[in-house]
Amino acid sequence: MKNAKIKCLLHTLAHYIDVTICHIRMAFLMIVEYPSNIAGWMISNPIQFILGFATIKFVVEQFGQINGWTYGQLAFLYGLSVISHALSMIFFVQGWFMGFYVVEGEFDRYLTRPLGVMYQFFFTNINIFGVTDLIPGILVFLYGCVESNFTWSIAKVICILLMLIGATFIRGGLYLCLGTTSFFTKSTMDFGQYTQEIMDKTTLYPLSMYPESMQFLLTYLIPIGWVSFYPISGLLGIDSGQTYGLLASVITLLVGLIVLAVAGLWFNYGLNKYESAGN
Amino acid sequence: MKWINKYLFVYKTQIIRSFTYKYDVYGNIIMQTIIMITSAFFWRALYGFDISKPYGDVMVNGVRLEDMLTYIIMSSVLSVLLSTNVERRIESSVRNGSISTDMMKPLNIFGIYLSEDLGRITALIFQNILPILIIGSLFIKVPAMSDLTQLPRFCISMMLSFGINWLLAALFGMWAFTAIDVDALIQVKKHLLRLLSGSIIPLWFFPDWFANILKALPFAYIYQLPLDIYIGKSSDVEVLQMMTIQAIWLVVLGLAFFIVSKRATRKIMIQGG
Amino acid sequence: MENNKMIEVTDLSKDYHVVKKEAGLSGAIKGLFKSGKQTIKAVSHVDLSVDKGEIIAVIGPNGAGKSSLIKMMTGVLTPTGGQVLINGKDITKNRKEVVKNIGVVFGQRTQLNWDLRLGESFELLRHIYEIDRDEYEKNLEVMDEILGIKEIINKPVRQMSLGQRVKGDLVAAMLHSPEVLFLDEPTIGLDVNTKFALRKFIKEINRVNKTTIVLTTHDLGDIEELCERLIIINHGKIIEDCNLLDITDRIAPYKTLVVEYYDDENIPTHENSTLDKVEGNVARYRFMKNDITAAALIAELSNKKKMKDVAIEEVGIDEIIRIAYGQ
Repeated sequence: MKNAKIKCLLHTLAHYIDVTICHIRMAFLMIVEYPSNIAGWMISNPIQFILGFATIKFVVEQFGQINGWTYGQLAFLYGLSVISHALSMIFFVQGWFMGFYVVEGEFDRYLTRPLGVMYQFFFTNINIFGVTDLIPGILVFLYGCVESNFTWSIAKVICILLMLIGATFIRGGLYLCLGTTSFFTKSTMDFGQYTQEIMDKTTLYPLSMYPESMQFLLTYLIPIGWVSFYPISGLLGIDSGQTYGLLASVITLLVGLIVLAVAGLWFNYGLNKYESAGN
Repeated sequence: MKWINKYLFVYKTQIIRSFTYKYDVYGNIIMQTIIMITSAFFWRALYGFDISKPYGDVMVNGVRLEDMLTYIIMSSVLSVLLSTNVERRIESSVRNGSISTDMMKPLNIFGIYLSEDLGRITALIFQNILPILIIGSLFIKVPAMSDLTQLPRFCISMMLSFGINWLLAALFGMWAFTAIDVDALIQVKKHLLRLLSGSIIPLWFFPDWFANILKALPFAYIYQLPLDIYIGKSSDVEVLQMMTIQAIWLVVLGLAFFIVSKRATRKIMIQGG
Repeated sequence: MENNKMIEVTDLSKDYHVVKKEAGLSGAIKGLFKSGKQTIKAVSHVDLSVDKGEIIAVIGPNGAGKSSLIKMMTGVLTPTGGQVLINGKDITKNRKEVVKNIGVVFGQRTQLNWDLRLGESFELLRHIYEIDRDEYEKNLEVMDEILGIKEIINKPVRQMSLGQRVKGDLVAAMLHSPEVLFLDEPTIGLDVNTKFALRKFIKEINRVNKTTIVLTTHDLGDIEELCERLIIINHGKIIEDCNLLDITDRIAPYKTLVVEYYDDENIPTHENSTLDKVEGNVARYRFMKNDITAAALIAELSNKKKMKDVAIEEVGIDEIIRIAYGQ
């Protein structure tokens, strides 16, 4: 009995992986179909983050340190934050534009197929171009490692991977939460620029520079603090008021899973209110 | 004068349409408030703001925290006034082919798009700008102008910056006539504007060499100059100098727009959309 | 005993909340602060059951609730009340399991990937429905015979004509050999040849695979050619659920005899029919099928005046539907 259940679960997992590979293949075919797009994104995304990073450099030059964080440490923070941003762009970016999908009745298609709706929504529209965000992220991160004299160890590598997964989930969950509102409002609002602006201010700089009330809010209610500040403080051994050390990366992963789960419940609740198009 | 009535009709219709998207209005206000308040905290933290000290004490690069806070509130206001839809509008009408029917209308298509943008922004004055100003005044500070005699100059430079911004958007949008997908190009423009115009970080925080490069580009004349005038950062001579360059950019972009739009419309006429 | 009911809809309802908008600028501004909400009953308390292998047509005027009904039956909309059982299983509760067994074509929208060749969309569906390659090839072969799908399988969907696209969508919906096929206005905007091919295909899969088919349409040709059973919906309620022949007998149990005489003098009448209209030398007699047979009427009338030509007109399906909507 138990065996049969596990077998069934494994089969489902294999099925989803199989379909995911198919989606990724189609995404690549689309890129080939419109080659002019690649050039655009190859320019657009790196410009954004290289200019963004230059801005931080200039600001730090003016103000010296930011809340005790040196320039190298800020680069480390910036790099990892952009990497998790890039990952969230690949898998979860559609959350920003969910209103369009809702109003255009795109969910009809997902609902009449025997796979999870949330899975289909994100993976049918997987955004391979998000990879172009990874490049500046990795470059700045490596630069930050050198500048901040980061010492590598296996434990730290594992922590970095865990926190990246967690951070991507937190971002994805938050995008999904915002996007789900469009089931109720039927508005095609584009959350992209706003989300980006808020995330930039809160994940590219140490959270400790903000007043305590805001820190509290961003730690427990909207856990953006876990996207970069807490796990990276742990990795760099910076005392952030609450010292979790390397454990912070594990907590980040847990927080990510919780946020994604809550977002999923909220999404499923919203989906019941879906009205398709043209009624 | 009959033609102007037609554009006025487009303008009015757009205002009414803008008011029907109720949830967008609330969503925009909430998001903009969050961004503005976060920015205020951000600058306070950078200035090492301490409750016990009065505002005016700390100066960085000749700018007091108090002025910086005015700057960010007004930057939020400007970002609403300077929001354009023309690039998306051109792109979508090229993509779905409605551009050729738009061209049959007895109105200039760019005139229609401009009227729509103006209508949308007029609606946004009530939907966004007033709420932002009220919320900003309550939670951050009253963003009073430093010297009211500068008001005429501010208004003129605002109009010029609207023109530059709109022409840039239209030029990027017209790329759609050659490339199928201009999403990436529109993104490029957005990022350049965001980071090089002083809308988020004022130019005076950049090193001189970089700031000088930016002063040669049109972006700085979209946000930085009107805001400079508003907080009274620059001297009279500097302001007049900058406004001259701003006017020159408007003329240059206007010419570029004229040439490109002529070519683009001819291309559409020949291809039939 | 085998359950023969493929679809069972019980007490199904769907309400929409619509915001009332006032006209003009002042109305638009007022709407920002308060809005009158209005509940619209798109579908109210509908019961319906469809046997395995049946083809039914759901028709009704625009906004009558056809689309809402079919969207609830396919699991797209969550009902406000009631339930839909497909092959005995509730579609709202077991969506993923139930939809494996249904195929859906929404005529005005496509489930195909716009930018890629048609074959890529089929390939994705093959993976989603876990169809093995042999079965997939076999299915495609069968469908190719009627629809000629292999000619267009390498064409990008965005370059297709509407007819080709709908064919593509129909094949996409049938790749996994579902037991129930839902078609929402499948023939809308299509040319005569394509319509013919589609109808032939639908009849064929129904005959061979015993596929149950539910279709909504505005095209009376679809109904005449495909269905024996007709569901007429208006204001969210089923107002007729009957056999196509029965409804003709009930709503319009009369025929019209058109007689052309040699001249227009002294056009005769008959006590078992009403003289509807006279135009020159052509007279139209309406008679009930129970009162008199057409043969008897012709014989008796031709005794009174010499006829040149006769024709018998039955009431068309469009007329019947128009009458039914009006009830």
